[in-house]
Amino acid sequence: MCSSGAIINVGHSDPPIKIEKAWINDVPICHPGAAVDLYIGATAMSERQPFEYGGGHVIEDLVSGKEIELRATAYGTDCYPRTQVNTRLTKDDLNQFYLLNFRNCYQRYNCAVNDRDETIYTYMGKLLPRLHNATYSGAGELNPLMNDPDYETIGIGTRIFLGGTQGYVIGEGTQHEPQNRFGTIMVRGDAKKMSPEFLRGASFTRYGTTMYVGLGIPIPILNEGLAKKTAIRDEEIFTSVVDYGVPRKDRPKLAQVSYKELKSGSITVNDRRIRVSSLSSLKTARKIAGTLKSWITQGEFYLTAPVERLPVDTVFKPMRQTEEVPFVANVMQKAVTCSEAEAVQAVAERIVTQSVNHIVVVDGNGKLTGIVTSWDITRALAQGKTALSDIVTRRVITAKLNEPLETASKRMAEHNISALPVIDNEKKVLGIVTSEDVSKLLGR
Amino acid sequence: MVRILLRFTEDIVEEPITSQIILELKVPINIIAAHVNSKGGEVLAEVPDEALDKVVKAFRKKGAKVSIPKLIEVDSEKCISCGACVTLCPVEAITMDEDASVVFNKEKCIGTTCSACVDACPSRAIKSVKQNNSELTANNVH
Repeated sequence: MCSSGAIINVGHSDPPIKIEKAWINDVPICHPGAAVDLYIGATAMSERQPFEYGGGHVIEDLVSGKEIELRATAYGTDCYPRTQVNTRLTKDDLNQFYLLNFRNCYQRYNCAVNDRDETIYTYMGKLLPRLHNATYSGAGELNPLMNDPDYETIGIGTRIFLGGTQGYVIGEGTQHEPQNRFGTIMVRGDAKKMSPEFLRGASFTRYGTTMYVGLGIPIPILNEGLAKKTAIRDEEIFTSVVDYGVPRKDRPKLAQVSYKELKSGSITVNDRRIRVSSLSSLKTARKIAGTLKSWITQGEFYLTAPVERLPVDTVFKPMRQTEEVPFVANVMQKAVTCSEAEAVQAVAERIVTQSVNHIVVVDGNGKLTGIVTSWDITRALAQGKTALSDIVTRRVITAKLNEPLETASKRMAEHNISALPVIDNEKKVLGIVTSEDVSKLLGR
Repeated sequence: MVRILLRFTEDIVEEPITSQIILELKVPINIIAAHVNSKGGEVLAEVPDEALDKVVKAFRKKGAKVSIPKLIEVDSEKCISCGACVTLCPVEAITMDEDASVVFNKEKCIGTTCSACVDACPSRAIKSVKQNNSELTANNVH
């Protein structure tokens, strides 16, 4: 889980320093409080090896007993005169080393697919083009919040298994959304006692670094209702198959699937079988459940009643945005089109009269079949070619109407092209967006 | 069957070397994976054990480089059996077994000609092993 991290207190140096900026193993560390309190965020990335080593790995290294390198700078004050410090530390040198995670233990989560024509790298892993694979997260019937969906036994003060030792729930997690069964918790635990088996740094290619957190919550069967609720099975837990290829907050939901289907290794979306695999380790989840059970039966772990239960009515609001973001639809122009049967000469004339650089090639139903540029036409005329079909580019990079302009413009830059036909899901041409239109808008 | 990795340089990539050898030696050669463009190519092929020596010699005679393909290696200490790699394998060499352990089948893996799983591993437990350039001799192929 990305919203994880650890608070550490590194002790005072002599002369003392009020840390302004800090790095551990080249990973930037936050300095949220006083002189030598630091927060290691799991997603902060190393400046030397970004995307490969990050805060999660720093925490794992500390937990494993490894020595880390702390570098810090400061502006210097009368009471804290020192302006820089370089030192090596292990967890034994730290005063406090507490795992402090804002959001863990998602009750359930989306199943991710990608309907784009290219592979994308997300926090849901590597997603192959055109729905060629799917990923999911969560333990389904083993998820604690799913077993106690009304949070009768879970809240502030609930003692839990955290990272291989005992920790506590300290409240609802950020983005807690109980009414949609997307509950989360905030947790704290003594990281000095944790084990790297249950706390691991992770690297998601082209997304960033994060951390695997092993977490388990004992649920006492206090009444018949809880007995029934904890008997929940994977086939009763459903989640949406979401197209992460759409770069928007609300992504299209393509299907509903159960955790039983997810764990079976394949799901069906629009009558198509898609291979699916998890991103969170079910094997470790089972091990945690077993370990926690043995702690309880051996009298090493005592259950606690929550001081205050998790809220059941929190709403997860989107960001209030006071600035408008442009989308492809805002700058799209009418596309000048032609059919593949037309002569190069005729298309050349259209380029001149319409004063455009791109002609979109369509079939009888207005569906995209290719694109020709004024450069293609110039070259064809120079080489004496007359058939348009000889010069059409058939692998066309396209844009969608509801796509943010930023991603469309990034795609143009990546492919070194200056226009994208805008198409719908049936490949029907809706218009065209050009780099000129983008620059005009951004230059405003 | 034995797997061999064939490399073709720019100057010979246009020639139908594999077809010629199949016809000349009358040996079935199964192409498992291939990455070929005008700059050269890399082909993972399977040949019958008994024909290996003559196939290797024939490819070398025509200027191709032949080596034993190295497979993907999984560091079992680092692997936490999350499953992120499973669906990316085009030949289903990575599977999840009954107790939710990720199982890697070396026999099925097509190795470094694919490597689709490598950058998907959050624990960086999967390494694509670089081919060493020491050319295999006909003797150490077995």
